[in-house]
Amino acid sequence: MSFQALISGSECAAPANPLNQVLKHTEADRSLQQDRVAGPSSSRLQQLPSSSAPAASSHDLALARQFFEGNNGVSGAFVPPLEISREMSGPNMHDTWIAEQQRNMQHFEANKMQAHWAAEFDATSKAPQNQGPAHSAQLGPVSSEPQQLMPSHIPQTGFYGNYMPRGMYAMGAPQMFQDFGAQQFVDQGKGKGKLREIDFEAAFAQAAASLSSPLVEKQDTARITEVKDDVAEIEQALKDTQLDGEPQTNAEFRRVWEHLQNSDAPPPEEDLAKWEAEFNQLMNSERGDDFDYDYGRDMEEAWSNSFGGYPETAFGDTPLKYDSEGIPILGDYVFGMSSIGPILQLRILTINPETDNKYMDPSTSSRSMLNDAKALLEQNGSLSEAALLLEAAIQQGDLGEGGYEAWILLGETRNMDEREEAGMRALTEGVRRAEEAGNAGEGMMSLAISYTNESMDKASHTMLLRWLRARFPDFPVPEETIQAMKTHSSWDTHTRISESFLNLARSQHSQGVMDPDVQVALGVLFYTNGEYDRAKDCFESALSVRPNDYLLWNRLGSSLSNGSKPEEALGAYREALSLRPTYTRAVYNVGVACLNIGAHKEAAEHFLSGLALQEQTSGDTSDQLWFTLRRAFLAMASR
Amino acid sequence: MSDLKVDGFQSSALISSLSTAFTNYSPAEKAEQLKKVNGIFQLNVKNDQGTEAIWSIDLKKNGEVYKGPAKPKADVTISLSDETLGQLASGKLNGQKAFMTGKIKTKGNIMLATKLDGVFKATKSKL
Repeated sequence: MSFQALISGSECAAPANPLNQVLKHTEADRSLQQDRVAGPSSSRLQQLPSSSAPAASSHDLALARQFFEGNNGVSGAFVPPLEISREMSGPNMHDTWIAEQQRNMQHFEANKMQAHWAAEFDATSKAPQNQGPAHSAQLGPVSSEPQQLMPSHIPQTGFYGNYMPRGMYAMGAPQMFQDFGAQQFVDQGKGKGKLREIDFEAAFAQAAASLSSPLVEKQDTARITEVKDDVAEIEQALKDTQLDGEPQTNAEFRRVWEHLQNSDAPPPEEDLAKWEAEFNQLMNSERGDDFDYDYGRDMEEAWSNSFGGYPETAFGDTPLKYDSEGIPILGDYVFGMSSIGPILQLRILTINPETDNKYMDPSTSSRSMLNDAKALLEQNGSLSEAALLLEAAIQQGDLGEGGYEAWILLGETRNMDEREEAGMRALTEGVRRAEEAGNAGEGMMSLAISYTNESMDKASHTMLLRWLRARFPDFPVPEETIQAMKTHSSWDTHTRISESFLNLARSQHSQGVMDPDVQVALGVLFYTNGEYDRAKDCFESALSVRPNDYLLWNRLGSSLSNGSKPEEALGAYREALSLRPTYTRAVYNVGVACLNIGAHKEAAEHFLSGLALQEQTSGDTSDQLWFTLRRAFLAMASR
Repeated sequence: MSDLKVDGFQSSALISSLSTAFTNYSPAEKAEQLKKVNGIFQLNVKNDQGTEAIWSIDLKKNGEVYKGPAKPKADVTISLSDETLGQLASGKLNGQKAFMTGKIKTKGNIMLATKLDGVFKATKSKL
């Protein structure tokens, strides 16, 4: 849209519009060649401020078209330069052109025939001589109208890489070195080759000149003198060879060639270098800055990308790190600010390290915080309140059984209160302490579930496996499975661990035992894999053993809800909430189910009640709830 | 957001809603998501007519959704049908199954693709 507008601006704006110039430049493929035929008429040349050239005759354009079309069919054939230029000025262009083409083909095929060679030589040897005057005749007007020179260049230059076929021609017919014609021909070829190169350089320079008008004058004059030099060179070479014009030997050829090389004409290499330098300078000055800068920046980006991505996100936050078994490295539990972002946490910490936990009051320190918290949880008290009690207990060193009980309880409470990250940190600490205390397995299930909620599948698998091995040390777990945790993908570990748990459940079943914990673990595994129906079955069977476990009811509801049965899920949540009215997570889940049903208003109400539940005690609310509440409102707004 | 829409794609709506969600994140929430996922996804979605639409989900640097190929390079490119994407987002199909049955083709870090599940289903019930 805007790009189009940029490039298709009015023509008069063109010199001021770099993009336009770029476009022109990319078109140069064809226009360059057309210029040569059609002279100053082409649209590109009209861009030149200095061009006061006459308009193209339609005749010229037709000629150009004919030339291109005609040449397509005979790409291999070379076109004797002079003949074209001669024919082109003739009246009956088309017929002679075709005849010429046919003749060329014949020449090509019959290159062994001496007679042809003689004829060919007659024709070609005249070329440079005839061109000489032609050039000098043109040089007069050329200085005032540089483009006028172009038409005379076409035949010399040729298109479609005529140079190559001719070179091959010469190489493929070694016997040519033995006859004068061929020798002439090669000489000429070489001379022309250079001329041709220079022509291309000139063409490039002209293209470049169209980009930078002030340099045009200089360019054109430079080009003209050069062409003259070359013509002189060839003329001289021809004169030499014609004067000697005797035996046709290799030695003769070499001599002429050497003479050519050492001739007084300025060495073309120098010119080429000069042109190249000028061309480069021109191009650089035109677009160098912009393009080089972009390129450099791109490279820089590519470079930094190849080194493990961005060291920082846009928020200056380092990405979450995981250990080799997929367990997230979360850092220590931060007291009193469970749901606040890390940046905020840091700020609060520096201001008030202890925060306002009312249970930290020294006067209450005589009581056991841990017991208070347990009692509170028992009485369906506020979860936030209980969590604060537990935090206080931990900070005062009242850690309960084995030094981990308070931590795990805190983690579980936090999770129930819909503060996943805080819960996860507390549970990680609790699990670590439980392992140290020789009571491995405690809290692991809760932690695995926490990981599952945060889509950390691999961590969840690792934790479940550790739980399995801690809980059932006798149960054989293949060594391969344990090793797989480190290196394999979560899909593979999921298959392996599900296998292990299923085997365990089967062996238990055969003994007439049904361990609800194993069922929960299986349920979690199915849940991670999106097999909600099977997860539902597992939680139901666990509930058949522990019908009053509100956590299980919530998990059942969650499986139903995520399994696209939010209506059925509501029943399960109701069970959970009747057992535990302050279960914030269940309240949240009810809201999510409502959201999925499309009852956005009800969803919002549930989220609000969840927030109220958190707020009434600590004043500290969970981001997750706010976020989902916002989603509900957005959904309402979009209706 | 309107330029995220591509006619004839069901997932168009899904992508727009995702984008709306992203733009409505508070900086803290955004940071949280970026931290969790830390990847750039490119979705090459084909519809029934065989036309292809490309969306990119950047959850590494800026936390945004845009049409067209990922810039910088995506960590994982996921090729799938319009229908499959819809089913994945609604939870009717799980990523692993879709991958195993060839409904999803990925290039790059496959395991990162599993995290995309969590992106699409930000409102998942919790255990």
